[in-house]
Amino acid sequence: MRVLRWLILPLLVVPLSWVLLTGFSVNPNEVPSALIGKPMPSFSLTTLDGTKLDSRALRGKPVMINFWASWCPPCVAEHSVLLDAQRRLGGRLQIVGVLYQDTAADARSFLATHGDPGYASLQDDDSRLALDFGVSGPPETYFVDAGGMVRGKQFGPLSAAALREQLARIGVSDS
Amino acid sequence: MLPSLGHVAILIGLAVSLYAAVAFVLGGRGRDAVLLATARQAMYAAFGLAFIACAAMVISLLTHDFSVAYIARNNATTTPPFYSIISLWAALEGSILFWTLLTLGWASLVLYRYRARHTALMPWVGMSLALVAVFLFSVMVWPGNPFSRITPVPLEGSGPNALLQNHPFMGLHPPLLYLGYTGLSVPFAFGIAALLTRRTDEEWLGVVRRWTIIPWIFLSLGIVAGAWWSYEVLGWGGYWAWDPVENAALLPWLTATAFIHSSMVAERRGTLKVWSMALVIATFVLTILGTFLTRSGVVQSVHSFTQSAIGPWFLGAIVLALGGSLALLLWRLPDLGDRGDPPRAVSRESAFLFNNVLFLGVTFVVLFGTLMPLIFQATGGQRISVGTPYYNGLNVPIFGALLFLMGVGPALPWGTASWRTVRERFTLPIVAAAGVLVAAVALGMRQPAPLLTLGLAGFVGTVMGDELLRGARSRARVRGEAPATALWHLATRNRRRYGGYVVHFGVLVMAIAVAISSTMARQTTVTLRPGQSATLAGYTLTHDRLVIEPLAEDARVTETRAEMTFAGPQSGTLATALRDYPNSTAAIATPAVRTALGEDLYVTLLSSDPKTGSVTVRVFVNPMVVWIWIGGAILGLGAAFAIWPDGRRIPAVLPAPEARRAEPAASVPAPVSATMEGS
Repeated sequence: MRVLRWLILPLLVVPLSWVLLTGFSVNPNEVPSALIGKPMPSFSLTTLDGTKLDSRALRGKPVMINFWASWCPPCVAEHSVLLDAQRRLGGRLQIVGVLYQDTAADARSFLATHGDPGYASLQDDDSRLALDFGVSGPPETYFVDAGGMVRGKQFGPLSAAALREQLARIGVSDS
Repeated sequence: MLPSLGHVAILIGLAVSLYAAVAFVLGGRGRDAVLLATARQAMYAAFGLAFIACAAMVISLLTHDFSVAYIARNNATTTPPFYSIISLWAALEGSILFWTLLTLGWASLVLYRYRARHTALMPWVGMSLALVAVFLFSVMVWPGNPFSRITPVPLEGSGPNALLQNHPFMGLHPPLLYLGYTGLSVPFAFGIAALLTRRTDEEWLGVVRRWTIIPWIFLSLGIVAGAWWSYEVLGWGGYWAWDPVENAALLPWLTATAFIHSSMVAERRGTLKVWSMALVIATFVLTILGTFLTRSGVVQSVHSFTQSAIGPWFLGAIVLALGGSLALLLWRLPDLGDRGDPPRAVSRESAFLFNNVLFLGVTFVVLFGTLMPLIFQATGGQRISVGTPYYNGLNVPIFGALLFLMGVGPALPWGTASWRTVRERFTLPIVAAAGVLVAAVALGMRQPAPLLTLGLAGFVGTVMGDELLRGARSRARVRGEAPATALWHLATRNRRRYGGYVVHFGVLVMAIAVAISSTMARQTTVTLRPGQSATLAGYTLTHDRLVIEPLAEDARVTETRAEMTFAGPQSGTLATALRDYPNSTAAIATPAVRTALGEDLYVTLLSSDPKTGSVTVRVFVNPMVVWIWIGGAILGLGAAFAIWPDGRRIPAVLPAPEARRAEPAASVPAPVSATMEGS
């Protein structure tokens, strides 16, 4: 009995610390998405410069879809990461921006102020595409592999490290 | 300059609290009064240093010194002075600094007050408190330096979290909560001291009672203020969501409440000692767990600060505090044998025991629900969240039983209750409860939870009223005093008992208000063009106009405001708004709340169309919500009344327990109920 009593100690302390410890190993910005492992929703939308972009045209190469808005401060924060990504990886990775509840005029002036990465940004006026992807708020970024399957989702602004980790999932090495 | 001063104060604070911990141990072992005096002084000095660091932070906030990373992240040149000051506790590092100040405040108070008393216990009390201070200072020196600098210095900061600069309650709710949390380290320190010195008799319990109730008052008021803040600011029409961090504040409250009850039994009857000790330890560990959950970003919550390096430190503190104190408790278990008889089935002790079991039941339900998402994640499962139905489904019946015991317990005598006493005391209350139930059903109430609550409230209220009148009447007869005078004297001569009654009355008021407001609220969502009206529960709400303009006190904030007129049980005008802060992606709601004693009219703006001026609003009519806050205030006042010094000198050392146990104990053996003390 005496000895058994002492068993309380590890029985209480070990599981509790294990559970709490695993809490750290998980990135709270990585929210599971029902889309992961599923094909990317298809779309055909107008870009900021007025041309049409169809999702079928993106097949065969990894895609990164970035939902953003000019009114969203974290989007400013991640903008430099996006500029840099397009400059370095533009050949191997197709980046597509999607405006989230924003006007084309505001978006253009944002790009004029903070720099235009050069890739297309789509106008999603009735938020249909945002709904299809399940976007809760910008910035949110989805990573689609060459086969058109969604493999990763970033909730909140991208950092260089988060980008590297996500790109590895769709077979783009960023070293 | 000032930030450097603050940082240096923290460094010296760490050194002096380390010194205090060592000196308390050496002084306690060698009974060296001089060394112990220096240890106490070191703790006062640590308090002074924490104060200097806090002052340096507040002044730097007021002067918007953005060279400090914390200030650049949580302040802007446009932040009003009030919100600059309270930004001390609005984010991670600052709140730990504030926490340190409060912990050392409590520690200094206790060490000063008992500088010449309880000489065997105090060195170890001091050591425990000094170790808590060492931990907090270490956190600020290594992973969470509140004064860490950034270069280049930004010209403008990003401003406080939008949610936290929206309501003056931010100036009230966190300090109250923190005062509660930090104060609960005092009973823990006494518990550890009692275990270490093997003086686990009534001495520490007698001292600790007041030092538990005072933080308990702050914690209670902090929780109520938090619920109020959530109701006034978040715009969802409710006040309690079982959010992980609400739970984190509730958990130590539950165990502290259980301890306040069990320690009465331990002090008077010599039983429930292990139980009381375990509750003190649990309370302290739960306060750190609460901090951990809030500060580390482990759980998703409205309260979560950013994920940070502080988490592992708090995890270490939890493991050390829980493991260390539990090991100590197990080691000293033979000392904590019950001296008294096991409680009889129908007696005040057994009511207290059941009370403890139920409080612990709620604690487990809440703890399990809070940790469930983490447990799932740890076992490789998906991220899940535990919702209100789980908590309500399990807790409402337990709260009902607690309410029942609240009426039964105080009316039962210590020792054994005879069948006659039971019949005499409880016939009238049962009749009253039945009367209340019939009346409520006749008035059209059908839902079981509020009916149960009202019935129980009738029962408990009658027991208390009867008890009070009985006492007052007999005092009036014996002393020949006027009834009101007799009542006052009765209460002030037995503050502990009647203060407790007032607390119970406050709980009763809150229970009724919660039961009714949570089941009988009405709501609707309407879209109105200017001039259009909507009706709900006797109110007519008319949309007058939509205004979109920058806020007068901070032009960077845009306010979208619907101005409305309402008529019905209350009438007047209101404005409900959404505010867009530059550093927040989501607009922050500023709901309009019109409070009356009977019900609140609560209007939240959901969206608007600037072209047509039309708005979509959610309208709630919430009955009796104000009584939750009133009940909370009654509870706080009652507890303050219970511990108010009563003018008569309190003996520093309690009389020998044997002398007090001479009170009549019935000799008829009654069925023995299970004791919690185990083998």
